[in-house]
Amino acid sequence: MKTIIEPFRIKMVEPIKLTTREQREQLIEAANYNPFLLRAEDVIIDLLTDSGTSAMSADAWGAMMRGDESYAGARSWYRFLETVKDIFGFEQVIPTHQGRAAEHILFGVMVDENSIIPNNTHFDTTRANIEFFGGNAIDLPCSEANDLESEYPFKGNMDIAALEKLVADEGPERIPMIMVTVTNNSGGGQPVSMANIRAISRIARGAGIPFYIDACRFAENAHFIRRREPGYENTAAIDIAREMFSYADGCTMSAKKDAFANIGGFLCTNDAGLAHRERNILILTEGFPTYGGLAGRDLEAIAVGLREVLDEDYLEYRLLSTRYVVEHLHELGIPVVAPAGGHAVYLDARRFLPHIEPLQYPGQSLVVELYIEAGIRSVEIGTVMFGADPHTQEERPARLDLVRLAIPRRVYTQSHMDYVIEGINLVWERRRGIQGMRIVQAPQFLRHFTAKFDWVRENAEPSYRSAVE
Amino acid sequence: MNTPKANKRTWAEPFKIKMVELLRMTTREEREQAIREAGYNTFLTRSRDVYIDLLTDSGTAAMSDRQWSGLMLGDEAYAGSENFYHLEAVVREYYGYEYLVPTHQGRGAENLMSQLLIKPGDHVPGNMYFTTTRLHQELAGGAFVDVIVDDAHDPESSFPFKGNVDINKLHQLVQEVGAKRVPYISLEGNVNMAGGQPFSMANLKELHDYCRKHDIPIMLDATRTIENAWFIREREDGYANKSLRVILREICDLTDGCTMSAKKDALVNIGGFFACNDAELFRKAQNLVVVYEGLHTYGGLAGRDMEAMAQGIREAVAEEHQAARIGQVHYLGEKLDDAGIPIVMPIGSHAIFIDAKRFLPHVDQDDYPAQALAAELYIESGIRSMERGNVSAGRDPKTGKNRRPALELVRLTIPRRVYTQAHMDVVAESVIDVHKRRENIRGLKMVYEPEYLRFFQARFEPIK
Repeated sequence: MKTIIEPFRIKMVEPIKLTTREQREQLIEAANYNPFLLRAEDVIIDLLTDSGTSAMSADAWGAMMRGDESYAGARSWYRFLETVKDIFGFEQVIPTHQGRAAEHILFGVMVDENSIIPNNTHFDTTRANIEFFGGNAIDLPCSEANDLESEYPFKGNMDIAALEKLVADEGPERIPMIMVTVTNNSGGGQPVSMANIRAISRIARGAGIPFYIDACRFAENAHFIRRREPGYENTAAIDIAREMFSYADGCTMSAKKDAFANIGGFLCTNDAGLAHRERNILILTEGFPTYGGLAGRDLEAIAVGLREVLDEDYLEYRLLSTRYVVEHLHELGIPVVAPAGGHAVYLDARRFLPHIEPLQYPGQSLVVELYIEAGIRSVEIGTVMFGADPHTQEERPARLDLVRLAIPRRVYTQSHMDYVIEGINLVWERRRGIQGMRIVQAPQFLRHFTAKFDWVRENAEPSYRSAVE
Repeated sequence: MNTPKANKRTWAEPFKIKMVELLRMTTREEREQAIREAGYNTFLTRSRDVYIDLLTDSGTAAMSDRQWSGLMLGDEAYAGSENFYHLEAVVREYYGYEYLVPTHQGRGAENLMSQLLIKPGDHVPGNMYFTTTRLHQELAGGAFVDVIVDDAHDPESSFPFKGNVDINKLHQLVQEVGAKRVPYISLEGNVNMAGGQPFSMANLKELHDYCRKHDIPIMLDATRTIENAWFIREREDGYANKSLRVILREICDLTDGCTMSAKKDALVNIGGFFACNDAELFRKAQNLVVVYEGLHTYGGLAGRDMEAMAQGIREAVAEEHQAARIGQVHYLGEKLDDAGIPIVMPIGSHAIFIDAKRFLPHVDQDDYPAQALAAELYIESGIRSMERGNVSAGRDPKTGKNRRPALELVRLTIPRRVYTQAHMDVVAESVIDVHKRRENIRGLKMVYEPEYLRFFQARFEPIK
């Protein structure tokens, strides 16, 4: 069968408001050309993120109704704890209101001004949190990751030779942890192989450095391993996941991705002493250790979602439906990151808009045009997100300029995706008339969330230096 | 068992029950084992082992059918969710602040505000400390200075506004350190650590005039301000005919911004916010909130939780809701008072505070009488209460010694709309039974002490 079967039917719907092109031109201008500043109701297809945007199942909604909202020791906490321990296998579990809070607590106890933290590719909040504590976030993607057209099956892998060199050059004292992000979000949602995870673990353990997995999309990564890595063809996703985590010393997790939850996250470790220090901060910034800033019902929903996400039929549907969009765009000649990742489609903005230089943010221009054309909301992952040096504030081109179309889980249908493909193609056909952009105003940390933009006017100098605060 | 007095029926709940949560009954032996395993700290007991949970009124309310419907209207878009705009409009309407930054709960807002406003060496006056608030102030480099009226520290005083700021104490501080080292005054409604005691509008007006003169902003801890408004109407001249809505706005209009734990007044299980009228402060808060909480239009909350909060605020200002809420707390308080149990007077809005110093006069404060009493109440009947005394107050950072606060209390906190009159009767009976055998109750010794906010996770053993 060629048709991608969704292993669910629709139980509840949310109406979409349609807008005209003229309305969208005004709306995006009023939002200072930053899609984060648009009202959600003015968006037709919202591909800004797959984080917290999933459709929960009837089971998860049912579990929400039995949320135990006791402040301490709630039943919902124990159900959550049992599920996380069963799948992730770590001894200490610390709930947080979302993934960035888990990162903030972890880096708060582990990172200082001397620290270097390697990752296959750090995501935006991860990098910002490390830099917030004065550390140096280093990306060590494998060489295939830079070739956006390569069909290498595990482009999310870390460059093992580069990691060995870094550990040898800097010494384990300066490296409080080695991280790997599965799947590699900033690198195109590409998976990391079990062999790579094993190799990282070997280096980490050899040097006595803790190894952490950023586990946001662990189930999608597990399914890629099953489909692509020899020896795992018949292994269940849950067993692949357990093996992945068995090589690590801890993990951070945003339950807003591979747990279908609209809110929530957690931090795991096997180190009881470390967990102890982490809980002291948790209480201060998040909440008591048995709820971590989450309602009891959210702990319940996460416990259900973590089981559902490991269902083979779901994972097969998820990866195939993302590939569906990538293949159609590829057939139209549109520069898209290949092979298809798990949770998103990534357009290569530098090849899409080769006439716009990186410091005029081609990704941001493309994001704005997609909204104006079809009401699609996407996000730039490139020089806007990563271009400002955190220490000097100097502006430099990012490694890649991508536009991410993240696909919320179980929310949009194939006909929505056909509409998206058509919208992108219409922009592609008029690409030569698209201008670059400039930053009008931006904060120091995580600037892409609230920065204001405008079109570059003829002969205007890039204005980012004076605009950065 | 006493029959309820006829006039007490007037607080009958303005709702009927639509959904229930089953409770498990335990034996005394099971409870003795459970509290031992929890290190005699009620925070460490499991909720399945608890019969009546009076640990906190925070996040424990029963939501209404309309709030549950609101949960189904969650717009879970990462940016620009409709629920945010709804909440922003409701906060503007009822609290009157121009700008809103949602946070996942109250301490998220305190963290933001402390980091934005306090510089190392600053002094932050407040009408009594609260555990998390003070710690956030200290971590930002500030020092908390208590400027509450002396009556607040006397559990037997019946002064009607024990939450008032002593303007002379504030003036003394300003004289000493200069207004420039006072970034704001932190003003809490229905002061929790004083026993849920309100400030008066007259006091707030006086404070407002003083602060205007010295250019010191007033930042409200708005957590239980609607309950504070109730007491202003009950006790203060000129307010008897004003609605809670009007009084709430009058309070907020005299302040410059607020932090809010919506888990109390606003009848939700999760959520909070920071609000202010200063555009520049708001812009800074928007930029900082993404580091800790989430994008400024969701602040670490699901869209549905913002929707439930907006509806909860509307329900919280309803007169009949507060009449039943406060009526229930007073019903329990008066029952205990009639039986000769030493409680903090006047009775507050969210909890009954038992005076453990007078309940257990034979237990030294460094043997934690309130902690011991909370453990004993649990063993007696499965009621979970909270220590608010020497354990909660922590150690003085300079001397390293226990602070030995004037108030050594056990808090019986009443969740909103959750328990019935029969439940309150059980609580009263249990406290009275423990009181009868009080002479046999011994103190506790702390065997494990965490670095911050020790009361949450400290462990104890009975003194032999």
